[in-house]
Amino acid sequence: MNKSSIAIVALLALIGGFSISWVISSNKPIELEAGLWFGEQARALPEFELVDHTGQALNRTSLTGKWSLMFFGYTHCPDICPASLQTMSDMVQAIEDPDVAAALRVYFVSVDPERDNSEVLASYVTYFNPDFTGATAIKEKLNPLTRSLGIAHEIRNKVEGNPSYDVDHSSAIVLINPKAEFAGLFSAPHDALAMARDLTRIVEYN
Amino acid sequence: MSRLSLILLLIFSPIALAELDIRDPWIKNLPPSVPVRAGYMTIHNPQSKAVSIVSLRSDAFASIEIHQSIEQDGMMRMEQLPNLKIESNSSVQLAPGGLHLMMMNPSEPTQPGDLLEIVIVLDDGSEQRVEMQVIR
Repeated sequence: MNKSSIAIVALLALIGGFSISWVISSNKPIELEAGLWFGEQARALPEFELVDHTGQALNRTSLTGKWSLMFFGYTHCPDICPASLQTMSDMVQAIEDPDVAAALRVYFVSVDPERDNSEVLASYVTYFNPDFTGATAIKEKLNPLTRSLGIAHEIRNKVEGNPSYDVDHSSAIVLINPKAEFAGLFSAPHDALAMARDLTRIVEYN
Repeated sequence: MSRLSLILLLIFSPIALAELDIRDPWIKNLPPSVPVRAGYMTIHNPQSKAVSIVSLRSDAFASIEIHQSIEQDGMMRMEQLPNLKIESNSSVQLAPGGLHLMMMNPSEPTQPGDLLEIVIVLDDGSEQRVEMQVIR
């Protein structure tokens, strides 16, 4: 090995050492099998108030004490929303550790409060799993929650008097930890078994 | 016409008439409170020329459109397609999260296990009937 190759090897070792220590110290999100885990970087949710499908208030306090998965959509969405709810239903079934399953709650938040009243939400979410919770609120009350989670949503092609319109929305499934902090994100397309394995690791580890 | 040719005609005529080879046609069921359903299938065009689906209809739904879920600016949105072209010797897959049939206002509440017939209208004016199974 000549002098220049020794110098290159030394330089590479130095860069390698730096990058390893940088990754360890930077607290960057940790890549899971199916999403991202924010670890120490989890962010506290702001105060918000929605109404769930039984008519009860759903706020920051109601999310404490359990792990929550939250998906945002609307019931008149025939493709993405049923697919995501079906995935979460399959995911719950796939979790083998009963303690993990018991520590987890699943929420479907409608960003179409005009059409999705409590009755519609109740029949919709419980169709996928009797333990799922549906919730919604007017846009002004949804915004503090959706903004803090980076969830975009927008009603499109709405004509006064026509009940048929589209609602665009983020397709990510959000993970909230038992301290009511935004703790992770599962991006579409969702894989039920990979999510079940990730959540089992996260809940068992914490 | 000989008996044999009649038998051959009966056996082969449905295949000769069916321009597209449709596999696994199914509809995702939803509770009666929701007036839309999505339909999925794999469509193969075994012919030597491209074929376009220009419209669909069914007694079981008020209307059926071809839609595509696409991600734009971090949001999922649905776009209606005016038609669906299937190139010669090619397949197009309608599957969750992408292309799908947007089936609106079921005439009766749908149940898992139901077989609902739809009619696919092609650009040459021909029609093809497809039975779609409702799945939970």
